[in-house]
Amino acid sequence: MKKILAMLLAVVMVFGLAACGGDTAEETTPATTGQAQTATEPAEGKKYEGVELTMWSMWGSGEPQALVIEEAAAAFEAETGAKVNIEWKGRDINTLLSAALESGEKFDIFEDDYQRIATTYVDYTYDLTAMAEAAGYADYSYACFNDQVVEWAGFLNSIVEQPQIGGVFYDKAAFETAGIASVPTTWAEFLDACAKLKEAGIAPLALDGAYAYFTFYHHLVRYMGEDALQEVAMNGGWSDSAAVTAAQEIIDFVNAGYLVEGAPDEYPASQNKVGLGQAAMVVCANYVTTEVDNAVGAIDWGFFNYPEVEGCVDSSAYAGANSLAITSYTENAQAAFDFIQYMTTGTYGQKLVDNCGQIPADARLTESVLVGSVETLKNSTAPMSWCGATNANSDLAQSFKDAFNGLYAGKYESGEAFCAALDALY
Amino acid sequence: MKKNRTMILAFILPTVFCLLFMYVYPVVRTVIMSFFQVESLTSDTSAWTFNGLANYAKIMGSSGFQLAMKNMMLIWLVGGLITLALSMLMAVILTSGIRGSKFFKAAIYMPNIVSAVALATMWVQYIFNYDYGLLNEIVQLFGGEKVKWLGLDLKFWAMLAAFIFGSVGYYMLIYISGIEGIPRDLYEAATLDGASKVSQFSKITMPLMKGIIKTSITFWSINATTFFLWTKMFSPVNTEGSTIVPVVYLYDIVFGGKGIIERDAGAGAAVGVVLTLIIIAVYAIMNLTLKDSDLEY
Repeated sequence: MKKILAMLLAVVMVFGLAACGGDTAEETTPATTGQAQTATEPAEGKKYEGVELTMWSMWGSGEPQALVIEEAAAAFEAETGAKVNIEWKGRDINTLLSAALESGEKFDIFEDDYQRIATTYVDYTYDLTAMAEAAGYADYSYACFNDQVVEWAGFLNSIVEQPQIGGVFYDKAAFETAGIASVPTTWAEFLDACAKLKEAGIAPLALDGAYAYFTFYHHLVRYMGEDALQEVAMNGGWSDSAAVTAAQEIIDFVNAGYLVEGAPDEYPASQNKVGLGQAAMVVCANYVTTEVDNAVGAIDWGFFNYPEVEGCVDSSAYAGANSLAITSYTENAQAAFDFIQYMTTGTYGQKLVDNCGQIPADARLTESVLVGSVETLKNSTAPMSWCGATNANSDLAQSFKDAFNGLYAGKYESGEAFCAALDALY
Repeated sequence: MKKNRTMILAFILPTVFCLLFMYVYPVVRTVIMSFFQVESLTSDTSAWTFNGLANYAKIMGSSGFQLAMKNMMLIWLVGGLITLALSMLMAVILTSGIRGSKFFKAAIYMPNIVSAVALATMWVQYIFNYDYGLLNEIVQLFGGEKVKWLGLDLKFWAMLAAFIFGSVGYYMLIYISGIEGIPRDLYEAATLDGASKVSQFSKITMPLMKGIIKTSITFWSINATTFFLWTKMFSPVNTEGSTIVPVVYLYDIVFGGKGIIERDAGAGAAVGVVLTLIIIAVYAIMNLTLKDSDLEY
């Protein structure tokens, strides 16, 4: 009896383990070339009756964006008959996507940073050019993103869902209190505004250590441009570059007491001080406004491009995007494209703007925050990257971050000392 | 008892298969991958290019990896000394028959049942906060000036202190279980012979705990080499040099980061192999230096 029982248990264990394995019969092979649209034939009735789409989202369930996307999926199903299954993968979706795409995992749409979609995942993405043309996408989207995607990927492989713009975000009320009538466009005007703010009892700039890298990157790009900066970042020679002047100006800025107390602080302590009325400005991307509003209450935000310096080489603003792509091996590319359009334009595109405080992905929609950002993006041709020139040296990027942070923490006595410290890294 | 080979095989095979497919295969693949140029972790082996020892040369020459190793060694050495010493001290005190020992055991172990994310958030946002943090409140109470606990110079040590706080309870329980296994009559006899508490600790407790100390050092070494979450919590947006550790370095080069699209799974595999060798080396040194006694508890 014991023997039979033991044998049964062993069999159960084996079956249990076998059940843990997935059914590989449904796996598909990624088609990296020769993409042919093989949309499932719709049954009678609605346009996509019987079609099932799976989307991997970078949002977490319950987030404002997730709620809008869920609502859009339900409405899309009611309208077209296509069922959209959404899997919330969260911000670390990039750690899952490569493996999933390489193994041909069955999903149709995914979200991630547009640069990663256009570079890392390009072989597994659908060429959207024809469908975008048919939809007139170029008329209501931003050329700066589309051109960049085509430059990186060779074809349009993503649709912008959440455009981002970087620069100086400020509390309009603080500027009014300090009597600043117009936003500064040059470093001299910026310092003048800082002096007025300080006089009015408001700390001019909030800065979290996490964004010190991005903040000083602006200043370096203004003096050197991204190409020259990358050259120095890769090979050294900081002491012989305009970085000396850039660093010295920041040291003078810090010594003038223009940083809020505690800065550079631990994210998000310093940026929240703008919301609390203790500081007037913060250098970041536009999502800082939502983060601060959610943390400490809404304020009336304004935005201006990081000021130009004397002899400015490059005055471009940072622009980036979280975008949506379609897998190269999807069987329902048109339905997936239509859902993406449904979600990012019209009613649901507007809901993403209104409920999530983001810049419209569809330039025809109405801005609810940071009015003017659509115009800025539309006029932008060559946006600045997110620290791309210094990140190009992946070996030293961590050291650059610490050094840039140290610059705002008052660690260096002069621009020469700062650049000498950087050169010592090579 | 009569041995039944079929039965033994039936029970062992599922485990052996699991071990082979879920452990041995990834380990072997990682070791092989470390000698190849591989961009994506899951790319087909046909896309791999033999790279010799170039991946190892790359990481050894990388200042980011060197910084990460330095931080890891500090966590292992300084953090290990403080954590294990504090744990032993607590264990000895709490097994000495003091009143309320059950409460203290529970209280000291408490951080281990709280999510490490919640624990790290508490330290970052409420204890080390510059404006209203507990530590600066105390400093100001004594007339001192506020300290930037999470500034460049102190951030690593702040992170280590928080990690130690969360770790002491775990090792304390291990030591308590060891001490409680030592027969009480040994201590009673020593007391009758006039041995002080310190002598009892050094002559009875420590020698009989050799095996447990060895185990705890091995556990700590594994914890230090796989240190990840605390760095992520203390550098939430970008990886920072002050808190980087090898596993975070590995994560960044394998998956890329904010604004970083370059990936190198081959170099990541080399980091993984180096970390494994470090753990094996520590374990071997432990076995050589702390020989098992005939008698231990």
